[in-house]
Amino acid sequence: MVLDTPTLSPGEAMVLAGLPMTEAGDAARDSLKASGLPNRRVEAFKWTDLRAALSEPVADPDGSAGLIPACLQEALVLDFAPDGFGLEGDKDEGLIIETEHSLPMDGAGPVAVLAAGRAPRAVVLRVTSPQTRPIVLRRHPGAPMRLRIELADKAELTLIDMGLAAAGLATGLIEADVGAGARLIRYSVQRGGAQAIDLTHTSVEVANGGSYAAVSLMFGAKLARAETTVCLAGSTARCDLSGAYLLAGQSHADMTIRVVHRAPGSETREVFKGAVQDRARGVFQGKILVERAAQQTDARQNHHALMLSEGAEIDVKPELEIYADDVQCAHGNTIGALDDQALFYMRQRGIDAVTARALLVEAFVTEVFDAMTDPGLRDWFVGLARDWLAEVRA
Amino acid sequence: MLKIHNLHVDVGGTPIIKGLTLEVPAGEVHAIMGPNGAGKSTLSYALTGRDGYEVTQGTATLNGEDLVSLAPEERAAKGLFLSFQYPLEIPGVPTLTFLRTALNAQRKARGEGEVSVPDFMKLSRDVAKKLGVTQDMLKRPLNVGFSGGEKKRMEIYQMALLDPRFMILDETDSGLDIDALKVVSEGVNALRGPDKAMLVITHYQRLLDHIKPDRVHVLAGGRIVDSGGPDLALALEKGGYDRYKDAA
Repeated sequence: MVLDTPTLSPGEAMVLAGLPMTEAGDAARDSLKASGLPNRRVEAFKWTDLRAALSEPVADPDGSAGLIPACLQEALVLDFAPDGFGLEGDKDEGLIIETEHSLPMDGAGPVAVLAAGRAPRAVVLRVTSPQTRPIVLRRHPGAPMRLRIELADKAELTLIDMGLAAAGLATGLIEADVGAGARLIRYSVQRGGAQAIDLTHTSVEVANGGSYAAVSLMFGAKLARAETTVCLAGSTARCDLSGAYLLAGQSHADMTIRVVHRAPGSETREVFKGAVQDRARGVFQGKILVERAAQQTDARQNHHALMLSEGAEIDVKPELEIYADDVQCAHGNTIGALDDQALFYMRQRGIDAVTARALLVEAFVTEVFDAMTDPGLRDWFVGLARDWLAEVRA
Repeated sequence: MLKIHNLHVDVGGTPIIKGLTLEVPAGEVHAIMGPNGAGKSTLSYALTGRDGYEVTQGTATLNGEDLVSLAPEERAAKGLFLSFQYPLEIPGVPTLTFLRTALNAQRKARGEGEVSVPDFMKLSRDVAKKLGVTQDMLKRPLNVGFSGGEKKRMEIYQMALLDPRFMILDETDSGLDIDALKVVSEGVNALRGPDKAMLVITHYQRLLDHIKPDRVHVLAGGRIVDSGGPDLALALEKGGYDRYKDAA
């Protein structure tokens, strides 16, 4: 078979030139040379065309990593910058931090290959006991991040990743092994400007009785894509994924999620909510795959979104693929406009239309943060959503 | 207080109110009765400014100020309140947050200062006690999971808290049992005053036993076709609306 080698766009060529001379860098280089970045003709990228987003040279990194909220002042901070990796704060017992130049890759797909390739080295967190101090991953504009997390049996870790790039290409690859009875909790805030591209891939494998819980808040960017793959490899493993997206202007945010149930008695809960206005675009692709051995799987996926303007776009692809026969699986998906009757009701009480709209959107979207047990973090997320609503009010 | 002159209202291009004239002076309670489809709810929505209820002709003023050109929230700030026939459930918005936002928005529009949180909490508790509204109801998102009766009670609670000057009660009795009707009516009667007025829209005489009107009007075919004292409501209860068919 003869494959056409694509002509790389200026943006792709720039990415190619920036790849380090590492094994992962080589793999990314080979992949880019062979097929370029995925475009809309590739099924999984039909609504998020990386090639088009990188048709022009990538703008120089600009912006910041955002402010760490007061509730995280005690956290250990890992800084990921374009020129390297740093560490700030105290480290407790039961946590080992190392860096490695070469690691086999767990993640799969072009985003994972690119993110692994761009990172000159991987940061490895080995967690042997429950950690009460959270770890903040501060992602600076344009930074490549690669993080490998190994949670021993019964270990616990809370991760918060955040970034606030105005411009530049940032990539992230997080690969995690969650041991038996271990818990990994993650909160992500993604916010990028009109010149920022933010691509992340998270791959988590959960052993017997372990759990992965993630709550994300995305405001999009020129293009932002957060891929998550969770494999519930052990029995009675659990996966809770919640997320909210608030998009305005020309923002684009893509949540692509794949959860694989491989062993019996495991549970998945996915709740995603979004609100999109102006000419922004939200993409939600969620697949739950239940393998033959995964009897007594209980999996639910919900995605509900509001279209706040006529020019907005929300693309959704929910998928259930089930090979076991004794399972409970369900998904629900709705896309609608704000309720005119509710708006009028609020205005009749004296609340102006813009404020009424913001209150309704906030109530709708922030419901997904109810899952957050830490009130400080929950308030932070609700506050970010509220600030956004105040900012975009027309 | 409220003056409506030759009002015409279209809904989706169809004329529903066709030349309605009505005056409710300060200190009075007027009832509007009428058959289904007479335009009772249309009148309440047109007066409060709901989208899709287009005033094509005529005037409506509150204390001499034109209502028709104002946004719904501006009318609310002028003191116009509608107790909805079907109060909306607003998931995720806590009742007290909603009411404090509404009260302060109205005060701001009138050039008055904000009510502080402690003052508001005290006010909300005092009013709740009078109307049998529980703290649990106030903690929940607005109207979510409330029974029909609880929603109506909540409407009157909101009315008492916002202290409007002109109140429209749209079928406030529907969904209420006898006991709830009594509580709600007492709440409404407590809001009567020499500088306030009310328009009570109802199908049935029953509510008017509790909220005694000064005048009763019959709305049929989009116009007021008869007016009288409280006795008119009793006559309607006996004779029905058939005799107004031709008048409409």
